[in-house]
Amino acid sequence: MRMMHTSLPEFKLKLKGAVVRQSPHKSIEIRGLENLKTAKMQSLRTGRIEEAVEQVAAGKETSKVEVVVMPRVPETMHTVIVKGYDDHGNPTKAVLEVINIIHPTEDVELEGFEQIEDRRPSIGRH
Amino acid sequence: MGGFIFRYLPMGVGPKHGAPIHVALVDKKEIEGSGLQEEDAIELIAGKINGPAAINVFDLEAATTTSDGVVIPGAIVTMAAADRGKVHKEFGILHMAEMEVTEELVKEEPHLAPLGVLYPGRKLFRGPDPAEKLIPVHNAVITGKAINNNSATEIMNAVTMEEMLLPILGQLQAMKDGDIVFAVTGPVVSVGIGMTVAEKFGRVFPTRQFKAGETAHNSAAYARNLKAHIPCLVAPKEVLAAFILDALECGMVPGRELGCSPAVLSVAHALGTEIALDNISSRAWLELESVGVCRKDLEKPSPMMAREEIILKADNIIPGLDEPYRVKSTDYFQKISVGV
Repeated sequence: MRMMHTSLPEFKLKLKGAVVRQSPHKSIEIRGLENLKTAKMQSLRTGRIEEAVEQVAAGKETSKVEVVVMPRVPETMHTVIVKGYDDHGNPTKAVLEVINIIHPTEDVELEGFEQIEDRRPSIGRH
Repeated sequence: MGGFIFRYLPMGVGPKHGAPIHVALVDKKEIEGSGLQEEDAIELIAGKINGPAAINVFDLEAATTTSDGVVIPGAIVTMAAADRGKVHKEFGILHMAEMEVTEELVKEEPHLAPLGVLYPGRKLFRGPDPAEKLIPVHNAVITGKAINNNSATEIMNAVTMEEMLLPILGQLQAMKDGDIVFAVTGPVVSVGIGMTVAEKFGRVFPTRQFKAGETAHNSAAYARNLKAHIPCLVAPKEVLAAFILDALECGMVPGRELGCSPAVLSVAHALGTEIALDNISSRAWLELESVGVCRKDLEKPSPMMAREEIILKADNIIPGLDEPYRVKSTDYFQKISVGV
């Protein structure tokens, strides 16, 4: 099986579509991807997430669906690029650094939920 | 099968904003006496607290080192983070690695030499084996809002972003029902200026990345401000002074075997033992001088104080801590019983 990837705008459209398929009156909010301008999303999971969104949206009492994307491993390592430019916009100097960021785990998003299905594979698996 | 007790510091207690999450300290022997597995006992404690919590398990018959390389009795063997009664199945528990104390280890880590003299036969624990943990960089456990970092000596709330330092000696005081000091870190404590020794599976670093006399933060005068405004729970300075004196009396030299922290340097100068001034890196000097620990002062003749006098005057000799207040740990740590 080929591991295809979905573009970021298409990913968002697919999730919105999954809600609208249930009802055009139900809404969706996607959080956690604001910082990404371009990305390719794992297709295998995109389909599963579409299905999950549609299942949650199908609930009679559900009027709004929130999709939160957050780091699964709650410490992420980032490159920091410090860049200088002159008055004409020409590059002057750049320094590369690194910073490790600690995040809360998914539990902070699940407060109050009693029905939780954890469909995630173990870490490292698709 | 019986129950067990743990020592509990509620969230919000302490200087400034207080502890950012709840703190539970438990003796491994207590857990063993209850017949429970450690993980099950941690789950029970998590359920009792039912909020964001750091849970630390101690082996008081083992040994560890302080961040500046001073060997001390008692060690944390397991760290956990819990939130609303849950311990994250992947990131919530981490065990410290037992280090076999061999001649080869002491040769690689000469600050351990006092172990055989002062605490022979004790097991040694500092940090975890990096191969055993899923958090990539820090020696941390995380569940929900609760972050327990640096092998259980730094706690944070991932949502309020408040933080508190819990150096090992302060926690051991609480485990012994002794006095503790609540304070704000201030520039001297800040990020542990000069507190580096080369350790495999160390409390903060997994490899022997930084040697005595070096600086880990390596941020010159910026180091003094990095963590200068954080509440902390520490041991009274006389306790720290006594352990530093033990190491110095075993022939350990600051800057060579021991880290060049302001506390270690000050006690060594007061006692009049050797300090490897030339071995302290220029970058470490920048940090030390930014908090008033200067080479020219350490080169002045030592007052050659006796051990007892240094312990008595430890509050004046060891710099650091803002707004300290000494309290009985038993007035702040509640003993909570868990039935099995």
